[in-house]
Amino acid sequence: MAVPADVIPRRPTLLFIVVLSLLFIVMSVSSKTRYVGETRTLFERTVMTLFSPVPKTVNWVGQTASDMYHGYLDMRREVAENLQLRRKVAALTTENLKLRQTESDLRRLRGLLGYAEQSTLETSMAQTVMLDTAGRFKSMILDRGSDDGIEVNDAIVNASGLIGRVVLTTRDMAKVQLITDTNCAVGTLIERTRRQGVVRGDGAQGLQMFDVPSLADVLPGDVVLTAGIDGIYPKGIPVGTITRADRGADLFKRITVRPAVDFGSVEEVIVIHTRKIPPQVLRYAP
Amino acid sequence: MRWLRFAVGLLLALTLHTLLDSFYPNALAFFDPYIILVIYYSMGGNILGAIIAGVIAGFVQDAYSGAIFGLHAFSLTVCAYAVAYVNSRLVLRGTVAFGASLGGSVIANELVIYILVNILQRQKIEMFEQGLLVKTVFTVLFGMLVYQLLTLFLREEPIEATKERTW
Repeated sequence: MAVPADVIPRRPTLLFIVVLSLLFIVMSVSSKTRYVGETRTLFERTVMTLFSPVPKTVNWVGQTASDMYHGYLDMRREVAENLQLRRKVAALTTENLKLRQTESDLRRLRGLLGYAEQSTLETSMAQTVMLDTAGRFKSMILDRGSDDGIEVNDAIVNASGLIGRVVLTTRDMAKVQLITDTNCAVGTLIERTRRQGVVRGDGAQGLQMFDVPSLADVLPGDVVLTAGIDGIYPKGIPVGTITRADRGADLFKRITVRPAVDFGSVEEVIVIHTRKIPPQVLRYAP
Repeated sequence: MRWLRFAVGLLLALTLHTLLDSFYPNALAFFDPYIILVIYYSMGGNILGAIIAGVIAGFVQDAYSGAIFGLHAFSLTVCAYAVAYVNSRLVLRGTVAFGASLGGSVIANELVIYILVNILQRQKIEMFEQGLLVKTVFTVLFGMLVYQLLTLFLREEPIEATKERTW
């Protein structure tokens, strides 16, 4: 489509030639100055200065973006490393806990073994599977039974002292009456004075010692051991420590004993296969 | 308004130039953002405006490239004048017409530079033909894309935005 002639500028060609000539001169000057060592003419420097904010801004933005990108990558790497380290810490913590548990078990089992070695009677190890120290009847269930040689009236101890006696057995389990049970009675003696008495459970977490005369020498802190006179418990097993010894209303003292065993933390126990008194001996009455 | 658009276009071309220089230093051997701006502006058919646009854009390109100062100003002014002259007599519109004008201008621009470098520095540009071909293809494709985007953005024939009857 043709454009009307009056719109076309009249002398653009002349202007064009003038501009080109000037540009050629600029080029020639620029080309010469390069040979004499000056790489930039004043005009060139002016143009550069005029537009310098643009490259500076672009470079700043580019550098900032690059820094942010690399910072982000570094952060991702750090986060991944952090996560890895956290997992490692968790694994090591678990391993540490296991080792501590193992060490604790080892110490406890060593104690039990030492105790078992001291005993002349035949013993075996058992694990607690149920423990009832809060109910009316204080008892525990062991994971071994008659198949492992456990019999009724076998004594149950751990490294701290006396726990109770077996009252019921199945092939693979055994029920133990704890000495804290009110129906449990243990023939005992006071280690310091060798004064004998009977220890019974008070129905709570403690013990009481009976049949100790009012005039007997009993002091708080005295250690109470099994006396070996009841036909069930071997002699010399720690039962507890006397915490209180009062003069009673009648001829006997009122003695409170703290058990040697912490029943809340019983796990492994030693079953002492005590020598049983034959029934005919028990039934004999002169 | 149209000079403001030209200024914005020039800043964008310089930004692109700087970015390419920073990240792909050889890219400018195969792509010329300044000629797209100048040809787009020259297609309005205003010869005087085209000459001024060519000179300014060429000076900026020279200032930020290693060429002899004035070399691109000269070549771009030649291209701008030619395109504006043709468009002052024929009304060329549309993306294809712009692409054809741009392609011809890139070739002319490179030829002018080749000749001037030969005259002023007595040097030959290595692999001139291959460089010319690649530069023409990439510049034309990019230029047509920009032109198409401007068509969508301006919602009119982009060249009309550069036209003004009075100088």
